[in-house]
Amino acid sequence: MDIVYSLATSPNFERDGICFAARASGLFRSEDGGLTWQAAYASLELETPLITASVALSPDFEADRSVFAGVPGGILRSVDGGQSWYIASLPSPPPFVSTLVVSPNFAHDGTLLAGTMEDGVFRSSDRGSHWSSWNFGLLDLNVLYMAISPDFANDETLFVGTDSGIFRSRNGGRAWREVNFPADFAPVLSLALSPNHANDGVLFGGTESHGLFCSDDRGRTWSRLGEDVVTDAVNAIILSPQFPDKPDVLVLLGEGLLISRDGGQSWSDWKSGLPIEQGLASVAAPLGLNPEAPLLVGLVEGAVLRM
Amino acid sequence: MPRSKNRRVVFQPATYQGIQRGINQMVEAIRPTLGPRPRIVAIDRILDDRMPELLDDGGTIAKRIIQLPDRDEDMGAMLVRDFLCRLQDQVGDGTATAAVLFQSVYNESVRYLASGGNAMRLRSYLEKGMRAILDHLTSMTVHLAGKEKLAQIAQAICHDPPLARLLGEIFDIIGEHGRVEIRPGRGRELEREYVEGMYWERGLVSREMITDHSQFRTEMENAAILISDLEIEEPRQLMPVIALAIEANIRSLLIVASKLSEGVIALLLANNDPEKLQAIAVKTPGWGKDEQAWALEDLAVLTGGRPFINVAGDTLSQVRVEDFGHARRVWADRRNFGIVGGRGNPRALRQHLATLRASFERTDGPVLRENLRARIGKLMGGSATLWVGGATELEITARQELAKRTAAAMRGAMMEGVLPGGGVSLLVCRRVLQRMLDQSTDLDERAAYRILIRAVAEPIRTIIANAGYDASEIMAEIKLARSGYGFDVTSGQVVDMMGAGIWDAAIVQKSAVYGAITTAALALTIDVLVHRQEQPKHVTIRPPSARKRL
Repeated sequence: MDIVYSLATSPNFERDGICFAARASGLFRSEDGGLTWQAAYASLELETPLITASVALSPDFEADRSVFAGVPGGILRSVDGGQSWYIASLPSPPPFVSTLVVSPNFAHDGTLLAGTMEDGVFRSSDRGSHWSSWNFGLLDLNVLYMAISPDFANDETLFVGTDSGIFRSRNGGRAWREVNFPADFAPVLSLALSPNHANDGVLFGGTESHGLFCSDDRGRTWSRLGEDVVTDAVNAIILSPQFPDKPDVLVLLGEGLLISRDGGQSWSDWKSGLPIEQGLASVAAPLGLNPEAPLLVGLVEGAVLRM
Repeated sequence: MPRSKNRRVVFQPATYQGIQRGINQMVEAIRPTLGPRPRIVAIDRILDDRMPELLDDGGTIAKRIIQLPDRDEDMGAMLVRDFLCRLQDQVGDGTATAAVLFQSVYNESVRYLASGGNAMRLRSYLEKGMRAILDHLTSMTVHLAGKEKLAQIAQAICHDPPLARLLGEIFDIIGEHGRVEIRPGRGRELEREYVEGMYWERGLVSREMITDHSQFRTEMENAAILISDLEIEEPRQLMPVIALAIEANIRSLLIVASKLSEGVIALLLANNDPEKLQAIAVKTPGWGKDEQAWALEDLAVLTGGRPFINVAGDTLSQVRVEDFGHARRVWADRRNFGIVGGRGNPRALRQHLATLRASFERTDGPVLRENLRARIGKLMGGSATLWVGGATELEITARQELAKRTAAAMRGAMMEGVLPGGGVSLLVCRRVLQRMLDQSTDLDERAAYRILIRAVAEPIRTIIANAGYDASEIMAEIKLARSGYGFDVTSGQVVDMMGAGIWDAAIVQKSAVYGAITTAALALTIDVLVHRQEQPKHVTIRPPSARKRL
């Protein structure tokens, strides 16, 4: 298996077609919108593949060309669009970086955070050169997913999904508090915050075996969505960039992609013809969730399909 | 009535008069310290000839006044002193507010009782009014979060902007139960450091277990932990555990035990082999059996191990591989040992914390509450150290004490919320008391409410006066403003206190109200003073003539 753990696309994808796929065999880059791929670690001249479980691009990628990739024990960063790489090692024992997020205000605050499988959260405020762990109040260090508020510059809010539930930080990742998400429904594999989270307080959480949940009060209370159809593990959640005005919600299940056009009340298959039997592992929607917008779907066996 | 050293019993009205004089002396010594523009009180040293102690904290001043010459007055003063000391120990702040409240209630009540009122009935109505005040304060309470707001709370307590800023940042990170150590600094500045994971005050049993000689500590990764309070006397007791660890491919082992003999330590040192097994040992944390049991319980939940308890009859021969706890990192030096990334079940940890928090809410005893708070803080996964610097040793000590009191008060504010500051929250309670007064026809009851209406305005009057303003003038201005408006002595303006970020910790205000009114009401029922034949023996005071001349 060469699972595509994570996909990341340029903020200017429509123009430059740049995207990255983090796979068990390393990091791959495409410049034609996901049609063809090249190894991004060529300059490192590695003897063995370097498993890469997460990848993230700077929101100012067009200007700073910054790319970050989570590898065992450290985080690689590139400032030339993925041509060359610097390594920032994380404190021993080597953590496994499962998720990366970059501050929407990265140009000014240089902040990014990494979630790891057994060592909680690491934070950098110097564009990824140096990292330190910040796990105050994070009672579960098995971080499966991290989501950052679109209004991070003001509210400094992040959420992490873990084996036992959801935690929230309101001070830029320096300290965490439990969110009132029932532990029985965990692990939480995926999270998505409304683009208008600062005002509407909406966030979605996808679980391993209890489906999809939504909160509209910043995590105080939760309701289950699509109970009859969203029954599989929810590996990814994508909201429309115009959410809640355009309440489109896409969820990636182990065996399918479902779309809701009404905020999660009703669901249908995204498209027919998906190679479900090959197993779906990751998804990216660089141009939104309109029916004609392209989706990048990463498969368990390593391929990335553009649909 | 003449005062004589041989008099043993004092009756009314001398009782009230004597107590009142003592109360007034004590409170007038504290009154100047109320508010953000306090005056200083200089206290002569007892034991040496250093310069007087300069204080602006009511509780500390009260602690320093240990006796008044007149024994009747001393009774009154010690009444005040006792409740102020308890208040300071419990919530860290609010002593000056409580003192002026107490004095007002007592003095006005004595005046009423002199005109024929009934002390017992007055007491019960004062306490009824107090409950109404507390309920109203509760209804006004808001909860704040975030670094800036916490810094503002700290500023309202300590009036030290750099200290407030750091404390705001610290508590924003560690939370209301979090562990913060406040130590004297190394220079003139304030510094803070955050420590990941949890640690306990127990160090390595032998300095030869130290592997990093530059840091004087040992660190191990992916360590197994034997959790116990057993006494390991013989090396052969530990051999099976060592063999078990080696067999299970455990490379790092931390042994926690209440006692390890020299022979056992020698065994560990002799068999220390980083290629095979590195083992270090620390003593079971906690002072006393209860604390040790709690520490073992916390360690077990945190690391997923099973504690081996002496009193339960556990022995090392019962240890199995699955009984070890595990952690991503373990460290130890000569004073402490710590765990980073305990590998226990997170759900179990969250449940354990919920249980401890529930116990904390239910418990009244200060010692047990502090113990529970410390455990919760440890388990939350980190701690902070604040180093308090200053220009002189005196300044450092005073600032360190201030930081500790502020931290205690901030915890209360974070847990219990905040109220409009500057004495305004108490002033607002006049409305409620006025309503109760209007509805009552009983003379003693009406008197009680009038007394309280006057008393709740005393703190704000004192704050204004201490800052150098005309209290009556400013009070008139406040009366015309909307509810919640008070006087910001820094800007010299009447402002919306909450909007201006001027807050008081709700627990401090409520504790001050409760302590002041209940103690004053109790004092009103004292009818007779009985003095011992001889003066109680306090610290021997050297007469001035015996001191060295400068």
